[in-house]
Amino acid sequence: MADFDEPISDQEKVRIASDFILHAPPGEFNEVFNDVRLLVNNDTLLKEGASGAFAQYNKDQFTPCRIEGSEKQVLVTEHGDVGGSRFIDPRTKQTFKYDHLRKEASDLQPASIDETAEPWRAALESQFTAYTADHYKYGVCSVYGSSSAGQITLTTCIESHQFSPKNFWNGRWRSQWSVTFPESGGSCELTGVLKVQVHYYEDGNVQLVSQKEIKESLSVTTESQTAKNFVKIVSDAENEYQCAISENYQSMSSVTFKALRRQLPVTKTKIDWNKILGYKIGNELKNA
Amino acid sequence: MTEQQLDCALDLMRRLPPQQIEKNLSDLIDLVPSLCEDLLSSVDQPLKIARDKSVGKDYLLCDYNRDGDSYRSPWSNIYDPPLDDGAMPSDRLRRLEIDANSAFDQYREMYFEGGVSSVYLWDLDHGFAGVILIKKAGDGSKNIRGCWDSIHVVEVQEKSSGRSAHYKLTSTAMLWLQTNKVGSGTMNLGGSLTRQVEMDSTVNETSHPHIANIGKMVEDMENKIRNTLNEIYFGKTRDIVNGLRATIPLQDQKQQDALRNDLAAALQKRQTHT
Repeated sequence: MADFDEPISDQEKVRIASDFILHAPPGEFNEVFNDVRLLVNNDTLLKEGASGAFAQYNKDQFTPCRIEGSEKQVLVTEHGDVGGSRFIDPRTKQTFKYDHLRKEASDLQPASIDETAEPWRAALESQFTAYTADHYKYGVCSVYGSSSAGQITLTTCIESHQFSPKNFWNGRWRSQWSVTFPESGGSCELTGVLKVQVHYYEDGNVQLVSQKEIKESLSVTTESQTAKNFVKIVSDAENEYQCAISENYQSMSSVTFKALRRQLPVTKTKIDWNKILGYKIGNELKNA
Repeated sequence: MTEQQLDCALDLMRRLPPQQIEKNLSDLIDLVPSLCEDLLSSVDQPLKIARDKSVGKDYLLCDYNRDGDSYRSPWSNIYDPPLDDGAMPSDRLRRLEIDANSAFDQYREMYFEGGVSSVYLWDLDHGFAGVILIKKAGDGSKNIRGCWDSIHVVEVQEKSSGRSAHYKLTSTAMLWLQTNKVGSGTMNLGGSLTRQVEMDSTVNETSHPHIANIGKMVEDMENKIRNTLNEIYFGKTRDIVNGLRATIPLQDQKQQDALRNDLAAALQKRQTHT
C-alpha cells in the first residue's frame, strides 16, 4: 500500500482502473466504468491507458452482438478478433467493426474463409446451433474454424445470460470447447472450459463464481459424424457440471451452512437475556 | 467531489467480487488516498483473529479496536503491540464492555457452538456505541470450506430521563463457501448482506439493562439475516444458474409442459361434468 504522502504513479492508477473494469460482474460494465471514471478523475489518462481493458472485458465475457441482416447473434471473443477492432462472424461469413463502449457492430464486410476447415466448421455449427437452442433459452453460439500445416482447429463458444438489475441480480454462463486434429482424423483431445458467474446485490453483495476445465477424447471421422460426437461429449460434460453444482448447493445448505450457525439454540427457544446476565451476577455473589 | 467519490467507491465494493474484498479495498485506497479513513470504517471485511497470550483467548480485529497498528483485546483490555496512550473506553464503559463480552460469549456458544466473539464499546456524547463481532469457521466436511462473519454496529442514544433509550443497529453477515471437486471444478459462493433496524426501549438495571435490549435486537436481526442468507445463497443464486442452462432439452420441457396442461384441462373437464 502506498504512503499517504506519496501518491501512486499514473501507471499504477491505470493498472488498478483496468483491473476493476475487467472484474465487472456480467451486465454491470457501465456502472463499474462510471464508478472508476469518477475515482480516477482523469478522463484522458483513463481513455489512453484503460481502453484495452474495455475490449478485453467484452472478449472475456463472450459478449453477444446483433448484426444487420442476420437473425442470429454473434459472439465477441478472442477467437473472432481479426485486429483493428474488427471481429468475424463465421456464420454469415462477414467481419464487422465493434464499438466496445457502445457495444454495437458496424461496417460489415465479407470475410475470407478457410476452405480446408470450413466443411468441418459448418457441420459443427449446425449441431451446436441446435444444441444451444435445446439447452440455453437465452443462449448464443459462435463456431470458429482454422487450419495450419495440415491441422484443423475448431473452437465453439456458447454464451447465455440473464440481466435483471431491477431485481438486483445478473448471471452469465460461458462455455468454450476446442479441438485440433489432422485432416486424416483419429482420436484427438477435446478441451473445454466452463464458467458461471451470478451476482445478487439487494442490500448486499453475493456472488457465485465457478469454473471447470475438462479434457475428453474425441473420435474424428467424417465432418458430420465428428460434429455429432463433439456435441454429445459437450452435452454430457455440461450436464454433469450443472448437476455437480446442484449437488454442491444441496451439501452447502444442508451440511455446511447448518453447522455454521443454528436456527435456534438446543433449547429450541430464543435466549433469555436476563438469565444470561444473571449468571454473571450469580457468579460474582458466589465469589464474594 | 469527495462525497461523490465515496459513493462511487462504495458502489464499486457492492459490485466487485466479494471474494477479493481485501485486494479491492487496498487498490481503492491507493487510487483515492483521501478516502482511506471513510473506506476503512464503512467497508466490512472478513474478520481476522488474534491471540491474547496473557489470558489464552482469541479475539477479533476491526477498525473499532484499532489504534495505529495495534489492536486492543476485549479480555485483557491491553493493546498488542503495546501502546502508551492507546484509545481506551472510560471505566464505566469498560465495566459494561466486560459484561457485554461475557453475555455475547454465551450467545455465541448457544447459536454457533464454537467460533470467536468480541465486543468493543466507545463513548458518544449522549450515550455510547459498540460493535459485536462473531467469526465461525466450518470443519471442512464434504470437502466444503465455510466461514461466517457477523459485524453488528449499535448506537445507543440515552434519553435525558434515563428511563429509555434509542437503539440503532446495522448488521452485516458475511458467508463464505468454497469447494474444489472433480465434478464441479472450483465453486466459490460468497459475500454479505446488510440490514438496519431502529427502536426505542425501556432501560432499567433489573429487567431492561442495555445489554439485554441490545442482545435481543442482535439475536432477532441475526436470525432474520440467517434466513435471508439461506434463501439468497441456496435458493436465488441456484435458480439463476438453472435459468441460464437447462439440463433437460427445452423441446422436451415444452412437451412436458404441454402434456401437463392437457392433463389439467382434461381433469377440469371431468370435474365440471361430475
